[in-house]
Amino acid sequence: MNTSPPRHDDDTLTPPSDDVRAGEYVLGVLDAPARRAVQARIASDAAFAGLVENWERHFAAWLGRVDAATPSPHVWAGIRRRLGWPAVQSVKPGLWNNVSFWRGAAALAAAAGIAAIAFGLRQPTLPGPAPPLASEEAAPRPVTVLARDDGSTGWIASIDTRSGKLVIVPVPSALDSGGRVNELWIIPAGGAPLSLGMVSHDRTHTIAVPQALRAAIVSGSLLAITLEPQAGIPHAQPSGPIVAKGQIQAI
Amino acid sequence: MHASSLAQDSLAEQVDQLLVRVAQYDQAAFEALYRATAGLLLGICLRILKDRAEAEDVVQEVFVSVWAKAAQFDPQRAKGTTWIGSIARHRAIDRVRSLPAGISAPIELADTTADTAPSPPSIVENRAERVRLDECMEQLDGRRQSLIRTAFYEGATYDELAQRSGSPLGSVKSWIRRGLLQLKACLES
Repeated sequence: MNTSPPRHDDDTLTPPSDDVRAGEYVLGVLDAPARRAVQARIASDAAFAGLVENWERHFAAWLGRVDAATPSPHVWAGIRRRLGWPAVQSVKPGLWNNVSFWRGAAALAAAAGIAAIAFGLRQPTLPGPAPPLASEEAAPRPVTVLARDDGSTGWIASIDTRSGKLVIVPVPSALDSGGRVNELWIIPAGGAPLSLGMVSHDRTHTIAVPQALRAAIVSGSLLAITLEPQAGIPHAQPSGPIVAKGQIQAI
Repeated sequence: MHASSLAQDSLAEQVDQLLVRVAQYDQAAFEALYRATAGLLLGICLRILKDRAEAEDVVQEVFVSVWAKAAQFDPQRAKGTTWIGSIARHRAIDRVRSLPAGISAPIELADTTADTAPSPPSIVENRAERVRLDECMEQLDGRRQSLIRTAFYEGATYDELAQRSGSPLGSVKSWIRRGLLQLKACLES
């Protein structure tokens, strides 16, 4: 096999075909001027842009093989700033982590049956106080914020002590890449975790607390969510990491 | 394994749906998209830039750009995860080219023996395509595989690849171009 350099140098004297050029661009081997030339061509030549798209699709599987990294909290704040949106901080201390605010928000979300409320309320155009609700809805609904490790809100649980129901409002998040689901636990002070079943990562829903577990839904108990295999829920005990937790305050 | 590929499919689907909403300037969908994809995009940028501050800055640029041009995303033509992942990769490559030479730490060529190791599951494309790309890669000789892999993950130029592999520039160009043609013939057969 003759692989002497001169032959290959000759070989590269001829400019590559459009398709190979597109492949080189996608692969990432071109220097800055060559990349700029290709990008200008993509913008002006639909057929060439199609060749590039084709190569992106061919290599797409490799994109997902890179280890994910957790962005610092300032990354999201920086994106909002660049978009000219109000800083997260201006809302966060005042409302986002304020339990009495969520009491209204969760009741409203429960009434409206939507999870998106958790986002809508984050915007500066906040809705006014919760509208008057039917008498049952107006019953005390203590709210527990289940915070993630980074301090952001993962879920809000609103407790209806009379009916023994929990309304769970998630701040929509990604599914676990390993296929695990979110399982909710009630942990009485000094006691072992008791499963309340699966909770959604993106939808508001209600959990009926089994009669036997209602005694645990008291001030001082902890609500926690762990990542668990879907099979076998409710589990006897958690096996995965805690993704969010919050202590039940006054009931 | 089965449950895991289901979760991946549903992430890809979720990203497609979120992008369609972001195209209508839905801020809640945009935040959900950030939560779902920022970790992967940062991982992609870090591989190329080797510097967290630079990589995080690029991720910010990427999301600002996605907010502005989500309407250009066409779910009929590409998966949302591929679309957004490619934007991040190209931004990171453009950034690394704009930095003074030598700022990124030198890295070894990808080890060809890694090809025989089981591949981690892809969350970007479905299983069938992943296996196909791997099968086609296996038909290339080891040197071409290694160069193509390194170029893709690190965004290394022909010059850098020639330096690192100790081979003449012309040979490296030739190997990669022929490798690309071989790959394409296999992928589209």
